[in-house]
Amino acid sequence: MIDKEFQVGRVLRASTRGFAIGCAVMQPDIPAFGSFVKAELEASGQLIYGLIYDVRVEDDPFVRQFIGANPPDEVVLDQRENRQVPIEVEILAVGCGQGDVIRHCLPSQPPVTLDWLYQCTDEEVRAFTNRFDYFRLILEAREAPSDELLASSVRTAAAARPEGEREAFLVDAGRELVRLLARDPSRLEGILRRLRA
Amino acid sequence: MSDRTPEQELEAFLGPRPPEPLPVEQLGIVVGGSLSEGLTVKLDRNTVIEGLAVGRYVVIRGQTGRRFFSIVTDVQLDALNPLIEKSPPDTSDPFMAQVYGGTAVFGQLEVAPMLVLEPGEDEPKPVKTVPAHFTPVLPASEDEVGLIFGREDEAGFFHIGEPLEMEGTHVALDLERFTERSAGVFGKTGTGKTFLTRMLLAGLIREDVAVNLIFDMHNEYGWKGQTEGRQEVKGLRQLFPGGEVSVFTLDEASSRRRGSRVDAVVRIGYEQIEPEDVDSLSSLMALSDVQVGALYFLRRVLGRDWVARLLDEDDPLAELDTALERGTIHGGTLGAIQRKLGMFRRFDFLGHGVSQDPVRQILDFLDRGRNVILEFGRYGNSLEAYILVANYITRRIHEHYVNRTEAALGTREGEPRPLVITIEEAHKFLDPAIARHTIFGTIARELRKYNVTLFIVDQRPSGIDPEVMSQIGTRVTCLLDDEADIRAVFSGISGAATLREVLARLDTKQQALIMGHAVPMPVVVKTRTYGTREFYAALGVGLSGDSDEDFEQARTLLSGDPQGAEGI
Repeated sequence: MIDKEFQVGRVLRASTRGFAIGCAVMQPDIPAFGSFVKAELEASGQLIYGLIYDVRVEDDPFVRQFIGANPPDEVVLDQRENRQVPIEVEILAVGCGQGDVIRHCLPSQPPVTLDWLYQCTDEEVRAFTNRFDYFRLILEAREAPSDELLASSVRTAAAARPEGEREAFLVDAGRELVRLLARDPSRLEGILRRLRA
Repeated sequence: MSDRTPEQELEAFLGPRPPEPLPVEQLGIVVGGSLSEGLTVKLDRNTVIEGLAVGRYVVIRGQTGRRFFSIVTDVQLDALNPLIEKSPPDTSDPFMAQVYGGTAVFGQLEVAPMLVLEPGEDEPKPVKTVPAHFTPVLPASEDEVGLIFGREDEAGFFHIGEPLEMEGTHVALDLERFTERSAGVFGKTGTGKTFLTRMLLAGLIREDVAVNLIFDMHNEYGWKGQTEGRQEVKGLRQLFPGGEVSVFTLDEASSRRRGSRVDAVVRIGYEQIEPEDVDSLSSLMALSDVQVGALYFLRRVLGRDWVARLLDEDDPLAELDTALERGTIHGGTLGAIQRKLGMFRRFDFLGHGVSQDPVRQILDFLDRGRNVILEFGRYGNSLEAYILVANYITRRIHEHYVNRTEAALGTREGEPRPLVITIEEAHKFLDPAIARHTIFGTIARELRKYNVTLFIVDQRPSGIDPEVMSQIGTRVTCLLDDEADIRAVFSGISGAATLREVLARLDTKQQALIMGHAVPMPVVVKTRTYGTREFYAALGVGLSGDSDEDFEQARTLLSGDPQGAEGI
């Protein structure tokens, strides 16, 4: 059973390449660009791992009216906490797992509407990022800002590690990027610089 | 009941366990290449490229357990994308430097596989295939070097140096094979040829694989030599005080001045000189073909005293009148020969009525297994004297060896001891124009047919007849710059192209590339230092005591007691 503390939102729509979830409120660190998230397929028990690559706050008719009316603070707070339209979060699928086995590939099935999406724990992030095979899925994703997403996810994965291991992790990730992007040195350098940012 | 663990019990019974060997770090992996062109090895990112040098040994561990012994022939820098060379990343950031190093940019080696060791065997064989892609490449271990070259404690093997970057690992030369064919030490001036030669000779004498006759042009092998820093080192006579080495001299006064203890003074009678001896000097004396032909005529007509009579300005040479009249010999030719032979008057070791036979004396020593060093004293500065005497003695000794070997044909008994003749400035003896006619050319071409081989020391191998050069079995080559010389030392060596870079990059001192018959594969060694306490100790020579006493005794004998030098 997954801890509710890490719930991000429920699935709005999904495909094997990625999915969108909706959440009511935005907490300080959930959902965040480049975060590792997971959804559990109840039927098979398979876990789908993804990376948040877009967080969209849509308007609604009330908000439109309030924009010009200079609402009082309590109205602003009410609109934020009791939203009519959910905050939409886009996720790129980068892996799946069953038990202790994690594979960096697209899932065989997408999650189902209204399935819960959870933030990965640091331990899960470390386990998932032991290898860098998922880099290719990010680099080839047209729907996502892949360079930014890749750099951000690597920084997130580094932060999930003890401080003494972070530098070595970043270097290893950088070397994998060198291998993947050898034909495009300017793009490579751009991502490597973002890793340090 | 003992409270020790089973492991402790075992250790108590068998003694402490030997320490686990340190894991050998992989240098890289094979990524391409061919048997003919050599293999390309991509270096691991942790391998320090500056720590690798051409000439170094590596071992490729094949999939089937085969070990491919290879030599590094080139070190290269490469990049995944050539664009990186045009627009290099900012590596002032240590992170970027770490990421790019070994991945986007990396080091490569070109290695030439030379020998392969099949699993379960301990005899390396010539390589006939190559290891597969991604086969790991490791530095050669001391045991592997020992497996290839043999161990210095085996009879007939002599430690000559250490492979590059393998301090403490000894390369042993198989001296039996070294003497099976003629051998050479090559290198430009100042690269340590003499020290290397002296060390090899010390090995030959210690291991007693052959008896040596050394034509010591610059008096460096007998009693003592000097480093470039004017530091004295012991000569072979001092290294082997037990009578293994005898020193002969052409110049007794010089030997006395240098404090060299000599066994005999060599004098050659004019009547012992044959036209062939003068013929060997034809290029130095500028003798034309006609004049060389006339030498044989003069010998026939004038008899054994032909040289003395030609040098005697008062001798009317009446026997030649008819020949001069008939035009068998031209007066101008005769005059030119007389003028040119006049050079012999400067050589005090030549003279009338010398009763002793220096060749017989040297042969007696050689037959008794005593190595002979012939010092030239001041005549070392005269190439004519050196070539004349070396040819004179060698021709006769070779003739003796041919006779004895033929007499002993069919039975090993009675065969003369293998003889190695050491000559310097070899290109003067083995010039293409004369090599076919001189005794040294003959010996080089005969291999060991008559138990005589050459050990030539030269700085100009391109001056040696290519046919002779191709018969030089083992080549010990110090640094050479000249392209023609480099080409010459590689003539007749398979896979030479890959070794050119190795040779061109040798240090100017104490490094040599050894290839050919005596070594299973080419090896670059940091040669053993001659003249150190360790070297003397390894040869069992005291640093003071007996040897110095010998030295003083010799000085006394030569300066005060003429019996110290036994005239011939």
